[in-house]
Amino acid sequence: MAGLYITTLYFVMQQTFFFTIPLLIVALGGMFSERAGIVNIALEGKMLLGAFTSIFFINQVQNSGAALDGHALLLVALLVAAATGVIAGLFHAYATISLNANQIISGVAINMFAPAFAIYIARIFGDTQQVFFTNNFRIESVPFFGSIPFIGPLFFQNTYFTTYLGFVILAVSTFVIYRTKFGLRLRACGEHPHAADSVGVNVYKIRYAGVLISGALAGMGGLIFIIPTAVAFNATVSGYGFLALAVLIFGAWRPQRILFAAFFFGLLQAVAAGHSGIAFLRDLRIPMQFYQMVPFVATLVVLAITSTKSTKNAAPKAVGQPYDKGTR
Amino acid sequence: MKKLLAVLLMAALVLAACGSPAPAPAPAAPATDAPAADAADAAPDAADGIRIALVTDYGTIDDGSFNQGSWEGVVAFAGPRGIGHEYFQPAEVSDAAYIDAIGLAISVGAEIVVTPGFLFGAAVYEAQELWPEVNFVLIDSQPNMDGNTHIADNTVAVLYAEQESGFLAGYAAVMEGHRSLGFIGGIPVPAVVLFGTGFVEGAEFAASELGLAAGEVTINYAYAGTFSPSPEVQTMAASWYAEGVEIIFAAAGGAGFSVMAAADAANALVIGVDIDQAGASDTVITSALKGLQASVYNVLEDWAAGNFPGGQAKVYGAALNGVGLPMATSRFQNFTQAQYDAIFAQLASGSITLSTTLGADAHMGLGVELVEIVAIG
Repeated sequence: MAGLYITTLYFVMQQTFFFTIPLLIVALGGMFSERAGIVNIALEGKMLLGAFTSIFFINQVQNSGAALDGHALLLVALLVAAATGVIAGLFHAYATISLNANQIISGVAINMFAPAFAIYIARIFGDTQQVFFTNNFRIESVPFFGSIPFIGPLFFQNTYFTTYLGFVILAVSTFVIYRTKFGLRLRACGEHPHAADSVGVNVYKIRYAGVLISGALAGMGGLIFIIPTAVAFNATVSGYGFLALAVLIFGAWRPQRILFAAFFFGLLQAVAAGHSGIAFLRDLRIPMQFYQMVPFVATLVVLAITSTKSTKNAAPKAVGQPYDKGTR
Repeated sequence: MKKLLAVLLMAALVLAACGSPAPAPAPAAPATDAPAADAADAAPDAADGIRIALVTDYGTIDDGSFNQGSWEGVVAFAGPRGIGHEYFQPAEVSDAAYIDAIGLAISVGAEIVVTPGFLFGAAVYEAQELWPEVNFVLIDSQPNMDGNTHIADNTVAVLYAEQESGFLAGYAAVMEGHRSLGFIGGIPVPAVVLFGTGFVEGAEFAASELGLAAGEVTINYAYAGTFSPSPEVQTMAASWYAEGVEIIFAAAGGAGFSVMAAADAANALVIGVDIDQAGASDTVITSALKGLQASVYNVLEDWAAGNFPGGQAKVYGAALNGVGLPMATSRFQNFTQAQYDAIFAQLASGSITLSTTLGADAHMGLGVELVEIVAIG
């Protein structure tokens, strides 16, 4: 019996990463933009665009019979996704930073544009809106690490290298935000751009950088989101861009808290979605809708409990405000 | 920067002006194999006499789905008989554009118009009154608008006996040797409910033929609540596979792609739906089909013989080749063509009666004795 529980634990943990890692990466992307002072409600659209171009790229490469395959292909596809996110970010940045457009409206525009674009292009090149791909990227068991008792099945089996990439991105992001000159300037532009400007920081450049990094991470998150969860891209990322935005806020715009938020939410999602295959949960005979509700209710509760003065005031002060040199 | 933009805009305008053809744009262009199809292409065909027209749903004629299946039925019928046929692609997805395209087809001589897909419900509802002398074939739906359903005498609504298709899938899965099955429906709309109840009854039928003990075959049964792929659907399917489910019938549209992803990771199997999904993933062992081609062919045959079955909804089951499994592309190892033919003949003869009860709980009222349904809801 204990054996059964332990396999269930392994299963839930492996599934958790399929939810957590994309949320983590996309929320970190949101962090770069918002800490620089630009609201990024366009995460959903950028995720979708990144997923579309990269899956389309994988589809074309696989159909062409090119030698590129496996992890090399996934790596190149990640670059394609990142580049797509950067381009989408450019639009967002140009509208909001150079033209002082309303940041919400610009973001919503990208969100509306993205699925339409994906369907349109998919139909031009293929016949349906689905873009199929063959998943050759899964790692059954990571060499050496996968065979460690307990730890192996928990973290190193039925996985993708993108899982570890997510943690690398987390580490690098934390370092950049808190330990580099760029990070300091980025945070300054989100808190008090005039102060930053007064000491010679080019607010526009820094904000551009923030939004473009954000686009790259969101695009990659889109690809990482799709790969383990479907055999085709169907012009949707199921609202996970918006969830990532929620994770960003739940995570109080700070990398470690974002990790916690993404993991917490991902774990509950995995349990909720997987409960019907977990005997002791299924036997409770609780309606499915209840399980589907749990991640959201639990997040609310945790938010209410852990919320302190510092997290309440965690939002970057200048987020959402176009930078105008003339105002005080 | 601004100057450059202005120059580019000018260039675009000039190019656009050069590109547009002299005649006024038609509301819908009859699509032919030639890439630059426009209304002019239809003219020579019209002289030959287009009698059968198909108006595509959203998507192209080779969409591997409803349009293609229906068009193949048209071609299979009209080609050998030398009857003029053509397809028309609406300018956009809207009732008005659909009616325009139907009107265009009729203006070049079409006497019967095939419209594949439930999106045509409202367009055909109007068109059947606008052109009473023309026949309409509405696939997989009934003419309806604002909750009113009316099939005029010049229209036939082609429906499919999904329960028979699901029955074949369930039967094949158990005969293949699987005992632990699963069903994931999208949303309990009528077609999905019938696929599911048929699947259960098919498994029950096979279990009884094989003399299995009660409870030996189990079916996990759930509705995903979506027709889109999502990580939640993937995790649900993965949890079933992890628990020992060997094969899942995914009657869930795009959500099926997430079931396939789970099957891929678990080295398990999926049964596809509507069309042959063998190409979507190697995990698809077979698909519960709707026989688009056969049904369109059959209606056209009746029409040509002067027996157009107007004014009614015609349900295509095994008897009319309206359902089936694509045995040629199926990946069965034990289930044979002979076994398939035998069960198909039984279905076709009408000796097996299946539930047609609708509703999200329909599977609970089937009264199956051998199959244990593990309902998840």
